[in-house]
Amino acid sequence: MIEIRNVSIRFRKGWYALKNVDLSIGKGEFIFLTGQTGSGKTTLLRLIYMDLFPDEGEIAVAGFLSSTIKESEIPFLRRRIGIIFQDFKLLTDKTVYENVAFALEVTGQSGRKMREKVMKALTLVGLSHKRNDFPYTLSGGEQQKTAIARALVREPFILLADEPTGNIDPEGSEEIIKILQEVNTAGTAVLMATHAVELSKRMGGKFVHLEQGQIVKQ
Amino acid sequence: MTFIAIGIMFFSLFLLGAFLWGTFNLFGVIRLAREKVEINAFLRENLPEKQVEELSEKLLSMVGVEKVVYISKEEALLKFKEEIKDAPSLIEAVKTNPLPASFSVKLKDGFTSPEKVKEVSEKIDIFDEFISVEYGESWINRLDRVVKILFLFDILLGIVISFASVFVISNTVRLTVLARKRTIEVMKLVGATEKTIHAPFILAGSIEGGIAGIMSGGLLYLIYQVTSKFFVKFYFPNNFVIIGTIVFGIILGMIGSKLAVKSTSKEMKFETPNV
Repeated sequence: MIEIRNVSIRFRKGWYALKNVDLSIGKGEFIFLTGQTGSGKTTLLRLIYMDLFPDEGEIAVAGFLSSTIKESEIPFLRRRIGIIFQDFKLLTDKTVYENVAFALEVTGQSGRKMREKVMKALTLVGLSHKRNDFPYTLSGGEQQKTAIARALVREPFILLADEPTGNIDPEGSEEIIKILQEVNTAGTAVLMATHAVELSKRMGGKFVHLEQGQIVKQ
Repeated sequence: MTFIAIGIMFFSLFLLGAFLWGTFNLFGVIRLAREKVEINAFLRENLPEKQVEELSEKLLSMVGVEKVVYISKEEALLKFKEEIKDAPSLIEAVKTNPLPASFSVKLKDGFTSPEKVKEVSEKIDIFDEFISVEYGESWINRLDRVVKILFLFDILLGIVISFASVFVISNTVRLTVLARKRTIEVMKLVGATEKTIHAPFILAGSIEGGIAGIMSGGLLYLIYQVTSKFFVKFYFPNNFVIIGTIVFGIILGMIGSKLAVKSTSKEMKFETPNV
C-alpha cells in the first residue's frame, strides 16, 4: 500500500533530513514511528502525503508515485489518507460536527449520506453527544478525537498521526491510542509518529525507530 | 479586512476612473483644437465670380477637404475691423480695402496631422488663382507634439495605475488569505482541489472589486454633478466611466485575488511545532 524505496531528502546542502530510508506499510498494519525531535518523523509523514518530495528514491502511495504525480492529483491522494497532528488543526469557528462535515463538503458531498457518515465517524470516536460544541470548549483529548473523526470520515486506507498525543495529558493520550487501535482493528492502517515510546510499548505494535534521518531499528 | 481591501481598491479605481475621465476630456479638447485647423487660400484680385465658384467646387472635391468657405474682400475687411475695433485711428487709416478674398478650407478628421495639412495645402497651391496658401504651420506642429506627448503620458499612467492596483489588491487579498490560513490548510489536508480552495477567494475578490467599482464610479459621478453645476461643464460619458470602473474593479479583484491565493497557498506548508 505504501512503499518507500531508498528515499533521501536534503533540507540544506549536505544536511539530510532523511537518508536511504526503506519502509513498506501493508494493509491494516499499526506502526509506531519513534525517534527524537529532528530525527525525521514528520518529514517521513509529509513525504507520504506528498507535501514534500524526495531528492532521491521514490515513494508509492495507493497507486500514486512521488516521481510522476501531478500537482492536480495530490488532492485525490489526500482523499485516501487520513492525517492528524499534534495541534489538531480544527477550525475554531465551526462546531465539532461542522469540522468533520467540512472534510466531505469541500469535496462536493452533501445531504443525508454526508450526515450519516459524519455521525458514524463521531460515534466511532465517542463524540456524537458533543457535536454542537465548539473546539475551544473541548479538552485536548476531545479536540484530537474530533480531528480523528474528520480524518476517518472519508474512510481512508491509512491514518497518519503526527505526534497525536503531544498536547494531551497521559489519560487522554491513552484514550487516543486506544481509539487508533480500534480504527486499526476495523481495517485502517495506522502510522503514528511519537515521542511517547513507553506508552506505545505498553500498547504493542510494530516499531520503526529513526535516528538522524535513518532507520536504525525495525 | 474586507473593508480595508474594498477601501484600497476603491481608491485605486477612483484614481483610474478620474484618470480615464481626464483623458476623455483631454481628447475632447484636442478634437476641438483639431477642428480649428484650417487652410487659408488667398485669391488674386478681380477674379470672375464663375471662376471663384468653380474653384470652390474643385477644392471641395479634393481628398481630405470637408468644407470650403468663401470670404470676400468685404467680409475680410469687416472681420479685420472687428479685430482692431479698439484702435479707431487705425480703422480710419484704412481707406481702401487692401485685403484679398480667400477660401477657408476645413479638413476632415483624419487629415489634421501636420503632414496631411501640408500635403493638402501644397495641392491647393498648384492653382494659379491663389497668391498664397497659409495654414499656421508651427501652430499645428506644436499642437501635434502636445497631443502625442499627452497621449503617451496617458497610456503610461494607465499602465502604471493598473499594475499598482493589481499589486495593491493582490497584497490586500493576500492578507485575507493569510487570515484564513487555517481553513486553507485544512482544505488541502482533506483533499480539496485547487479550484475549490481558490474559488471563494476569487469570488470574494471580484465582489469586493465590484463594490469598490460602484463606489468609485458613484463618487466620480457625484464630482461630475457638483463641478458641472457650480464650475465648468465637463464631458462625462456616464456609462463608460461607471460601468468601466465596475467591470474593471471586478477584473482587478479577480486577477489580484487569483495571484494572491495562488502564491500564498503554494507557500503554505503544514506547519507543526516539531520536525
